[in-house]
Amino acid sequence: MDRAPRLFPNPWLLLALEALFVTTSETLLKVGASRTERVAGWEWTGLLSLTSIWIWCAIALVIMSFLCWINVLKYIPLSIAFPLSNVVHVLVPLSCWIFLAEHISLRRWCGIAVVILGLAVVAKPVAKIEEKL
Amino acid sequence: MTREQTIIAIFVFATEVTTTVVGQLLLKHAMEGSTTFGFTHPRILKLFGTGVLALAISFFLTIGLLQHFDLSFFYPIQGSTVVIITTAAAIFLREKLSFPLMIGSLLISAGIVLVSLS
Repeated sequence: MDRAPRLFPNPWLLLALEALFVTTSETLLKVGASRTERVAGWEWTGLLSLTSIWIWCAIALVIMSFLCWINVLKYIPLSIAFPLSNVVHVLVPLSCWIFLAEHISLRRWCGIAVVILGLAVVAKPVAKIEEKL
Repeated sequence: MTREQTIIAIFVFATEVTTTVVGQLLLKHAMEGSTTFGFTHPRILKLFGTGVLALAISFFLTIGLLQHFDLSFFYPIQGSTVVIITTAAAIFLREKLSFPLMIGSLLISAGIVLVSLS
């Protein structure tokens, strides 16, 4: 695993920021998509949602998360970075529950717990490598 | 949702996952290459541009899917790409897959399936 030059923030911090930006952008995408009128023939393309300010805020956050992500990819292998970035599968449902009032069933909470366990298993060896360095 | 709409949703979802995987692989390849050849090298720019295009297609298909499904339902299903990308990184980018990484990826996918079944 390559070390990031000091000029760049820590790639692990960038990975955490990326997850935060993705969570916020997905929540805003849902808000924007829900408020867009459905027109037959165009509704699956998502292009009509570009009239929503929420979609543009989400796009700005997607760009910020993308900038973080490409710098993460410079230093962390994809097979480690991508599973860890899946922390958003915990953060997004939580965001839906808190901000969009979407219902989360007990089974879904259990699924979220298993995802957290998986993230811990992936992150543990990485943390040991970091300690040795 | 009608049967026809379900078929369209499955097709759109499959395209969305494929473009995500291809886009991520191309981006990783480009960013790794940029440390050796520099970001402005034509080959790196081509890889990067194609990766961004693939992810842009995936992005708009995601918005289309979000108009029909709850975010808390759709997003975890989309997460099934974790196993596909981890495997693809090992095959195409020759990244080493450790045992904990494989178990962790499988656990994440299992959790995602559990979430999407509810």
